[in-house]
Amino acid sequence: MDLNAIPLFAMLKGKMTHTAERQRVIAQNIANADVPDYAPRDLKPFSFDQQLKSVQSSQALAVSQTSPGHMAMPDSAPQASLDSVDAPDSEVRLDGNHVVLEEQMVKMNSAQSDYAAAVSYYEQSLSLLKMAATKPGG
Amino acid sequence: MTDPATSASAATSAIAASALKAQQARMRVIAENIANADSGAVTPGGDPYRRQTPLFSPTKVEGGGTGVAMTGVRPDQTPFHTEYNPGAPGADAKGMVKMPNVDPLTEMMDMREAQRAYQANLNVIENQRSMDNNTLGIIKK
Repeated sequence: MDLNAIPLFAMLKGKMTHTAERQRVIAQNIANADVPDYAPRDLKPFSFDQQLKSVQSSQALAVSQTSPGHMAMPDSAPQASLDSVDAPDSEVRLDGNHVVLEEQMVKMNSAQSDYAAAVSYYEQSLSLLKMAATKPGG
Repeated sequence: MTDPATSASAATSAIAASALKAQQARMRVIAENIANADSGAVTPGGDPYRRQTPLFSPTKVEGGGTGVAMTGVRPDQTPFHTEYNPGAPGADAKGMVKMPNVDPLTEMMDMREAQRAYQANLNVIENQRSMDNNTLGIIKK
């Protein structure tokens, strides 16, 4: 069973991928906090509406396989936008570095709690599936 | 196929680790400066120890992403100061000895900054680990 075929799971996976990638970009900013002229970057925010649309359109356009000879559709799980954009912090140092460690720490912690939230929601949804699959009273 | 989520997690740790290494190297340069703060000229007219400054530049790391590396040291070109010490082997006719251009206060500030940067990167690794643990938690259910 492909959990990604269930829109809810596909969206949660998109959110988790987005947050992990964001964490990587923030790690990059913190690592380069002492490099002259370095400008911090960040991902475009995760958009629920966009995800929802791409999940719905991938569902609407799916072709059903009626014979074993039919080829499967390419992986149509929605992909969150993982492009990074310049996101300068509030101060610029004399050496031209735009990274403010405190602001990056805040971003990192918000990425972490976003991730924890997505994971616990994933667990919740899994336990719902499990409940549906278990025999009543069993 | 590598999952983007796992490769991002590995890259995050690699980036933070590269920064830990770079800050460690910077600490070494600072230690050299402090250790040699009193290494004055040994021959009359000779030069004393010259302060070194670390050079940081962005570097690609394994797994994708930009880490950082200390790519070298540059000699600090600020002038040496002189000290009256006629007994020293490096003293000139007037009894003046050239002393290194190291200011202990600057070195202390630099050291504290390196320490903060090191802590910040350690935080990144810890954060990443807790995210990985969250993911592993799904399996336990």
